[in-house]
Amino acid sequence: MKKFLKFLMWGGVAILNAILVWFTFMLFALGNYSLAVTLGVFVAIADWAIFSKKGYPYRYTIAALFFLFVLTIYPMYYTIQIAFTNYGTGHLFSRDQAIETLLTDTRFLYSPNNAEIYDFKIFVKYDEQYKPTEDFLVLLYNKEKSFLAKKPQNIQYDAKGNVKYAESELMPLKNDVFDETYKIIKNKEGKIIAIDNGKIKYTYFYGFDDPSVSSNSAYYNSVIRQKYLKVINLKNGKKSFRLSSDYVYRKFSESYRVYEAISKTNIIEGRKVTKTQILNTLTNTILEDKDGAFWDYDKNGVSTRLIGYVEGVGAYNFKKILTDPKIAGPFFKIFVWTFTYAILSVIFSFIIGLALALALNDKNMKGRMIYRTLLIIPWAIPVFISVLVWRNGFFNETYGIINKIFLAKLGLEPIKWLNDPFWAKISILIVNTWLGFPYMMTVTLGALQSIPGELYEASSIDGATKWKQFSKITMPLLMVSVAPLLVMSFAFNFNNFVGIYLLTGGGPALPNSNTSAGATDILISFTYKLAFEGRKGQDFGFASAIAIIIFGIVSIISYFNFKFSKAFEEVSR
Amino acid sequence: MKKTLLLALVVIFSVLSVFSESIVIWASEKQVDFMKKIGAQFTKDTGINVDVQFVNFGDIKSKFLTASQAGEGPDIIVGAHDWVGELVKNGLLDPLPTSAIEMDKYAQSGINAFTVNGKLYGLPYAIEAVALIYNKDYVETAPKTIDDLLKTAKEYTTDETLGFVYDVNNFYFTYGFLKGFGGYVFNWSKENGYDVHDIGLNNEGAIKGGNLIKKFMDDGIIPAGANYNTMDSMFKDGLAAMIINGPWSLKGYIDAGIDFGVLPLTELELEPGKTAKPFVGVQGLMVNAKSKNKALAKEFVINYLATKEGIYNFYVADPRLPARNDVLDIIKEKGGPIPENIVEEFIKSAAGGEPMPNVPEMGMVWSPMADALNNITSGNQSPEQALNDAVSKIKSSMSK
Repeated sequence: MKKFLKFLMWGGVAILNAILVWFTFMLFALGNYSLAVTLGVFVAIADWAIFSKKGYPYRYTIAALFFLFVLTIYPMYYTIQIAFTNYGTGHLFSRDQAIETLLTDTRFLYSPNNAEIYDFKIFVKYDEQYKPTEDFLVLLYNKEKSFLAKKPQNIQYDAKGNVKYAESELMPLKNDVFDETYKIIKNKEGKIIAIDNGKIKYTYFYGFDDPSVSSNSAYYNSVIRQKYLKVINLKNGKKSFRLSSDYVYRKFSESYRVYEAISKTNIIEGRKVTKTQILNTLTNTILEDKDGAFWDYDKNGVSTRLIGYVEGVGAYNFKKILTDPKIAGPFFKIFVWTFTYAILSVIFSFIIGLALALALNDKNMKGRMIYRTLLIIPWAIPVFISVLVWRNGFFNETYGIINKIFLAKLGLEPIKWLNDPFWAKISILIVNTWLGFPYMMTVTLGALQSIPGELYEASSIDGATKWKQFSKITMPLLMVSVAPLLVMSFAFNFNNFVGIYLLTGGGPALPNSNTSAGATDILISFTYKLAFEGRKGQDFGFASAIAIIIFGIVSIISYFNFKFSKAFEEVSR
Repeated sequence: MKKTLLLALVVIFSVLSVFSESIVIWASEKQVDFMKKIGAQFTKDTGINVDVQFVNFGDIKSKFLTASQAGEGPDIIVGAHDWVGELVKNGLLDPLPTSAIEMDKYAQSGINAFTVNGKLYGLPYAIEAVALIYNKDYVETAPKTIDDLLKTAKEYTTDETLGFVYDVNNFYFTYGFLKGFGGYVFNWSKENGYDVHDIGLNNEGAIKGGNLIKKFMDDGIIPAGANYNTMDSMFKDGLAAMIINGPWSLKGYIDAGIDFGVLPLTELELEPGKTAKPFVGVQGLMVNAKSKNKALAKEFVINYLATKEGIYNFYVADPRLPARNDVLDIIKEKGGPIPENIVEEFIKSAAGGEPMPNVPEMGMVWSPMADALNNITSGNQSPEQALNDAVSKIKSSMSK
């Protein structure tokens, strides 16, 4: 039994290893090198921990290590890496991928004005069970000429094993014979039913709009077309023919590639540097390579952007944050509000949470469980729902309960809750406090239990007042366990995007400004606007740069906060 | 043992990766069912499977952006024309062969909307534009001029009911008024397409439109804080006389038992000779440039989905306006979820509107304009100031 379990365990380790190694190789093949390296390093460490005696104590941290690598280290590495690139809309692919697209994609083909166009039919060799094989012939024909092409010999594959290029020579028809060996066999009506080269007989298999062979379309589409025809280049001397997109791939048309790769060697600082460049074969000009994209010129010299790629931009994104007046201008103001917002949210929700916890902790209070349950509700409702209820149900200028019922009853003017910078800030603090106090209450309730009752007894014998007890016993002891949570809560609110985005969207907009910063924007919502709404699509490089800066700010603040909360621990010693 | 297991694993994975010849489509909820049916016909004809996957409309673009980079995306997506600029810029869409398409059968505005740099990147199946919808219990015939509209609106504005309400802070809904007076987002010419540096959102016309919106608020017709939800629910409850909304909302009003009529915004006169002109949105089918099955995908789009019958299916599943002119014939014959005369009114509104610019720069317009409208309606700024601010914001975000 024990042996079996051991066997099972080693089997499990082996399978896990196999899967992870397989994953690593797959990631390499897909070009995701950073994640592959991360995973590879993890596998090595994990195996060391399992197989080496020295690594024995680390065995039990493997699971944690795995998540550390995949969920923390890799994203951090990735963010930092992206912050120094122009990754975003228009710059999604690597330079090699962009070049490959220009060289292989069917979009960059052209047909000459008097292009020859051919219809085609497929002839297939059947095996003994009368099943079609992948050995086939393509018959190209129009009113004047006919050609025959054999199954391509010259085939290239891409990294994933898909055929990316295939080539075959066209053989012209002379006296019902192609290339002196392939003979046409016709039926009585004169329709070609087979082609025979003496050794193999190819039977008529598929042609468009021919109902007699429509049952073969499945095999044609999924094998012959999908594997060969869609990438085939049929050559006749200098002419080349491809399945034409202009005829929804039902005809072969003369077509050529627009772009060609050439490599050019320059001598930069005494070293030879080879760089691939792209040549437009129509205009015989080399594509301009600027701003992380390839640009082509037409006859009139008007440049069009063909395709962009990801390239390193150094500290450009960081420099922009510091020097661009649209960003650096409101940055300080937003920073102050972010800070105020996070601090006040924590303080208010903590005060309310504490007050309620103290009340609920009082043993003389009846129905404590019911109150407790009810007070947890704000925490239990999804933020998305409750914030929208607040926005539309409470703060709406005309229909909101506060304006419509309370203020109207009191005979007061309606308040522009979400449209006045001051009141919008108040609304956000109200909602955030409402969302946050149940957490504080729960935490405080728990912490209160850990304060020994004797302390209160002893102090009341000494004649301490309730306030004295609270300020000298409860608060200091409470802070020991709660203070780190307050810091955490602060860090959370510092980046509380959802709350802001759903309630005000950062608004109201500031009059007379030409930045997108609104009155209630915090750093993270401002970042979102800049990186994803303000510019042409998405700008991940820039967003990452700001994320790193925010991370820096939060860690500095947290560091000092923790120092501050350590002070409480000193008190308790 | 270890080796056998490993081997078995490799075999399983490699078997799974062969025989996966199918076209994958990302569509939103309502389209999945009938697309599967059309897909079954395609499978019968060609032997290629069609896998229709449900992705939330709002997520299709962003998921497509990430997936197609990795070469994992679907072959076809069903989406809106204002995605086209961004997707084309990223090199993710494949142009469709116009020579193989019955171009004259499609609404011209729909074709224009999917055209970038002279190439067609999608086939439209639905167009939509907002129109004035009125409750016949209040208003017998729709007011034809804005002055009439204001007069009628005042008549029915009480503590309980509203004469005229719409999502005034939403640029999409308000644009019709700005455009009507002569405002525009980006100047468009047939030869050069959109000139993104020529912004007309603070010109004389746009400011007139802004003043009109301010008048709605000042006259107490549209209440502060009005938004889409209040408008929609009040009209459903029969508490609003006139609203501005799109064809997607009609089914709800029919189900709520409201007897309503429709006036194309293009027939609402703002001042003599000038009528409102709404934004036109177009929905269509696009082919992934990184797809392995481009050829089959295009065939499916052109010859199966965007045909007369195919587009009728789209219309039945989700009643927007069919983007092919000949679909109206089927609607006349077989009927549809919305009365034919209402469909026709909406088509008029769309025909006279302006397609939302499909350039990526359009993404920079929404939020500054929403800010501007908010500042106008809340009285924080005059229309002129607010619109000037919006334009300078748009311009500054364009200059890198």
